[in-house]
Amino acid sequence: MITFEKVNKYFGTFHVLKNINLHIETGEVVVIIGPSGSGKSTLLRTINGLETITSGKLIVDGVQVNAKGTDLNKLRRNIGMVFQHFNLYPHKTVLENIILAPMKVLGLSRQEAEKIAREYLEKVGILEKINAYPSQLSGGQQQRVAIARGLAMRPKAMLFDEPTSALDPEMIGEVLDVMKTLAREGMTMVVVTHEMGFAREVADRIIFMDQGEIIEESTPDVFFKNPREERAQMFLKRILSH
Amino acid sequence: MNFQGAWTLGHIRFMLEGFAVTLQVAVIAIILSFILGTLIGVLRYTRLPIVSPILAVIVETLRNLPLLLIIMFVYLALPELGIRLGVFYSAVVGLTVFEMAMISEIVRGGLMSVDKGQTEAARASGMTYTQTLWHIVLPQALVKMIPPTVSQFISLLKDTSLAVAIALPELMHNSQIIYNGNPSYINPILLLAALFYFVTNFLLSQVALLLERRLRY
Repeated sequence: MITFEKVNKYFGTFHVLKNINLHIETGEVVVIIGPSGSGKSTLLRTINGLETITSGKLIVDGVQVNAKGTDLNKLRRNIGMVFQHFNLYPHKTVLENIILAPMKVLGLSRQEAEKIAREYLEKVGILEKINAYPSQLSGGQQQRVAIARGLAMRPKAMLFDEPTSALDPEMIGEVLDVMKTLAREGMTMVVVTHEMGFAREVADRIIFMDQGEIIEESTPDVFFKNPREERAQMFLKRILSH
Repeated sequence: MNFQGAWTLGHIRFMLEGFAVTLQVAVIAIILSFILGTLIGVLRYTRLPIVSPILAVIVETLRNLPLLLIIMFVYLALPELGIRLGVFYSAVVGLTVFEMAMISEIVRGGLMSVDKGQTEAARASGMTYTQTLWHIVLPQALVKMIPPTVSQFISLLKDTSLAVAIALPELMHNSQIIYNGNPSYINPILLLAALFYFVTNFLLSQVALLLERRLRY
């Protein structure tokens, strides 16, 4: 589904991604963790072309993302994305937020798009807020709408960029629950997060990054109990000690 | 001060005639400068090669010139190049190009003030640049643009009085004609002219407030 081959990225002279090799299968849930500034979000954002890469090869859904002439818009319909700060459209209602892309990008009729919107709002448990504006919702509710918005495109994979980092603690659970359901249903997911509990419970594979490199790649069991690399051991010690 | 002599029906009618010209010039210039200014602001925001830099030069030039000079230029200098617009349209064109430059900056600023996450969310869902601009960025920018745009229009309405320099028969011009004949009319006539400007602009800003409240989400 997603393949990185010797991918490098520079911001000016800053080497953000260093020789990334990574393969993600359809249906896999991959959680990327690591200290801030390690390049996790940048890595995630290259998958749908929000960030370009400097060298190497990145293939998503059979399409080479960094090739000239690649229709990024076409690729992006198949890849949903959820952001740290939700990024709902504040001038549109929940319903309008969800049906916009299905109508404008997939060309669905309003009726079809609304049907799908209801289906996914029900799934994330806030159908009753269908006519509310984002500003009237709590952070947790906004993020669940954002997930429904991504799902309404019926994507082949979903990218999550620190989806709970901007939430109050009591709202993190409701968002993680939705994500767990998705994972159980077989959605291909790439998740950047600091939620170690979620990573341990849901991930098929943990990717640990530091300073732009993939340092360690293993199953949650191995990673949390016996991390091989020293940097991963230190990171876990820091993060799990409190 | 001679209120009785100044505020005769004839004088008031003459001033209203002038005010009608003021309003005509202002309304035409407001409509044209809004359309052109929005277009220029959007084009500059999109950073089209060649087009955007050229527009940048035009806008910066116009913004750094006195409006009076632009009006004089249109009225006095363009005829030498074979373009003769007459008093009325010289005032309209002068005001329009100047305000167009101002509005374009308001539009560009409004567009740039929309959170980058909005564009990212829209593009990540597969929407094109143009769809994103039209459905996501522009509507949010418009709401933010209302207050500065309205104060720009209020300036425009007041600045129509600069056309007195090319003898456009607008409110200030007609007021001058009345009190030039009799210095004791100066105070009452200027007071009345001030009232015309004030009431109109006050109403304009109230409408803007209503509009802003209506559009807020």
